[in-house]
Amino acid sequence: MMLSRIADSLFWIGRYMERADNTARILDVNYHMLLEQPPDTYKLRWDPLIAITGERSRFYKTYEEASANTAFDFLGYSEENPNSIFQCIMLARENARTIRDRISRELWEDINTLYHKIIRLRDDGGGLSRFCEVIRRGGHRFHGVCDATLPRDEGWHFVQSGCVLERAEMTARLLDVHYHQLVEGSTILTEARSHSWMAVLKSVAAYEFYKRQYSQIEPMKVAELLLLDARHPRSVRFNISALQSSLYAISGSVPGTYANEAERLTGKAHERLTYDNIEEIFDQGLHNFLTELQLTCRTVGEQITREYFHYAVAS
Amino acid sequence: MSSAASAHPSNRLLFEGYDPGTFYDELIAPDGKPRPCAAAMYEQLASMPLETFEERRKLADLSYLVQGITFTVYADGRGTERLFPFDLVPRIIPRSEWDTIERGLAQRVMALNYYLQDIYGPQRILKDGIIPRHLVYSCKHFRREMVGLSVPRGIYVHIAGIDLVRDSSTGQYLVLEDNARSPSGISYVLENRLVMRRTFAQAFEVCEVMPVDHYPAELVQILRSLSPRSGERPNIVLLTPGLYNSAYFEHCFLAQEMGIELVEGRDLVVVDDVVFMKTIHGLTRVDVIYRRVDDDFLDPLAFRSDSLVGVPGLMNAYRAGNIALANAIGTGVADDKAIYAYVPDFIKYYLGEDPILHNVDTYLCSRPDHLSYVLEHLPELVVKAVGESGGYGMLMGPSSDKKTIADFRERLIADPRNYIAQPVIPLSRVPSFDPSTGTMSARHVDLRPYCLYDGEKVTIVPGGLTRVALQRGSLVVNSSQGGGSKDTWVLRGDV
Repeated sequence: MMLSRIADSLFWIGRYMERADNTARILDVNYHMLLEQPPDTYKLRWDPLIAITGERSRFYKTYEEASANTAFDFLGYSEENPNSIFQCIMLARENARTIRDRISRELWEDINTLYHKIIRLRDDGGGLSRFCEVIRRGGHRFHGVCDATLPRDEGWHFVQSGCVLERAEMTARLLDVHYHQLVEGSTILTEARSHSWMAVLKSVAAYEFYKRQYSQIEPMKVAELLLLDARHPRSVRFNISALQSSLYAISGSVPGTYANEAERLTGKAHERLTYDNIEEIFDQGLHNFLTELQLTCRTVGEQITREYFHYAVAS
Repeated sequence: MSSAASAHPSNRLLFEGYDPGTFYDELIAPDGKPRPCAAAMYEQLASMPLETFEERRKLADLSYLVQGITFTVYADGRGTERLFPFDLVPRIIPRSEWDTIERGLAQRVMALNYYLQDIYGPQRILKDGIIPRHLVYSCKHFRREMVGLSVPRGIYVHIAGIDLVRDSSTGQYLVLEDNARSPSGISYVLENRLVMRRTFAQAFEVCEVMPVDHYPAELVQILRSLSPRSGERPNIVLLTPGLYNSAYFEHCFLAQEMGIELVEGRDLVVVDDVVFMKTIHGLTRVDVIYRRVDDDFLDPLAFRSDSLVGVPGLMNAYRAGNIALANAIGTGVADDKAIYAYVPDFIKYYLGEDPILHNVDTYLCSRPDHLSYVLEHLPELVVKAVGESGGYGMLMGPSSDKKTIADFRERLIADPRNYIAQPVIPLSRVPSFDPSTGTMSARHVDLRPYCLYDGEKVTIVPGGLTRVALQRGSLVVNSSQGGGSKDTWVLRGDV
């Protein structure tokens, strides 16, 4: 019987580790892309990145301008930003430490080592690239260690749920922000646009896969891959599908049914991602579709909490 | 990081110029030669180049850091984590010596349990005038709620940590204090051994060291036997105050080793005097709680109402006999430092035996004759608050300035019942590595063995936690005061 508090911690370990990883990816890719760009586009390019993390208003409270330095400062180590990579790793570690008797020794030691590593990196003044590299590798290791050392019980499915829910939401937001900037914003040069789409694909490790599928960079195709592809592990559909499987494994529901609100909403989103095609989605308006999707992700998170972690007990 | 290693010539030997001094040295005889029990270990260490030793030391430190065996210091506001310093030179106890210690501890733990059964039961010892009634009733940790309540299998203290010191002037082991509430530190005993086995594998090949790893298995067996529901597989949990408790690592460690659930107060709920834990699929009944939360905080309805780490209604469930607690509530009336002075009398009274291990001479400030002696001799004495532990509320006379002593004098006069005084015991020493000089220096130690009582017999894992005062000349071994720990070896055969 798994304690609610432990399930809660496992879920959040998954979410925080994934959030740190996603943030490091977009930070790193953006940085490298901009190295080849004219300097006057800087502001335009760093601002969306802050928007993707959902912390725009907090950012401009502390900084006047979004640049490589301020973005790294804010998204990397800032204590003002509850979603900075450092804060995520710290919270993941805190959760892991709380339940270290319930996870494998390897998993705890891995998260703990990553935490100490980035503290050392901060104290040694390591740069953005090195930092992002450490976090991304840390993310890979995290998934590897989970995969190789955790029993496939409910606990594993809570870690999974946290990861895939976070990833689905992040990919949706990434697409939303970039699409808004690149298609609807008219101030950007055409060549820079295709560059930016490449950066988006690279940040979700989908660039090579995309090239093989479509060769030409076209916004609609990029959206199709990131939203609807059933094979790529960072597409929204892939992650919503994985979320559905984990939720079923936890509750014991069978496909086609649902035992709680989280499962119902996940199933509904999965239906659309499976049977809508990209043209239909564009007809309806990509932004609306993505907004709804992000709202679904948030609500599913709340419903999981209500169903499994913090339910009322009559005494 | 490597400055310590490079600052000293690497070819120098660790024990060069080692001086056991005038105190009893556990490993080295006064003539500078190793004692028989330490000969094999000494041979290994004495020939080891400093460089190698330093390497192993770093390896050991790293191992604690990676595993997160740290305690948190909040002084700087950021919650810095520190390692509990570990010294690689083990304390070695020959078998014959240990046998005596073991018998002495078993005797003492039995007597403490009989005393608690009596105090919360018929109170014969009070009626017979062996111990003053007012002394017992005025204990900070005496629990009126426990009087007349029968506890599962009559066991009060399932786990005791008895602090021992060796008096250099006589060479005798003495009991310094009893810990009958929730003694901590056993995880260090087990982890220190693990790290030692990894860093000094060869030493274990030549020295026959008695194992300690069976502690969790012994403990969980006792816990299992307490379950109020017969027939079913009992659900046992370890109740912790949470992540920010300094012993949290230990709570995790023990829960994992025993294969039981680690819970916080908020995980438990009492419905109709039955304790349940909240799981993802609803409520599951709990039978036994190994609690690492103090009496005061256990149940906000029965004890301190401001407790956030307790379980409302737990005391009622306990009273109804639906839950077993280890240790029982109210055991603090046995380890009060004023009651301590009477433990030798308990042993005679309940067991009809002479105490095998003796107490340190103790002055009870509640007794006017003792108080006046204490007030006259404060600069030579150690004064301790009776209900405290962990080195808090303590005066070390010889190393305190006039103002501190004057402060304590006032406190003693204002509340004499709250204090006892003891002569300063010249604690024995063990060679310990001093990183600042790169050599071995003698440092004072104590010893806390962990005793388990199952209602019939007392089981003690050989050795216990050796705490060492790493600062030169210091007699205070608490981790908050710069103390560290050592692995403790009880040898299988006698040498």
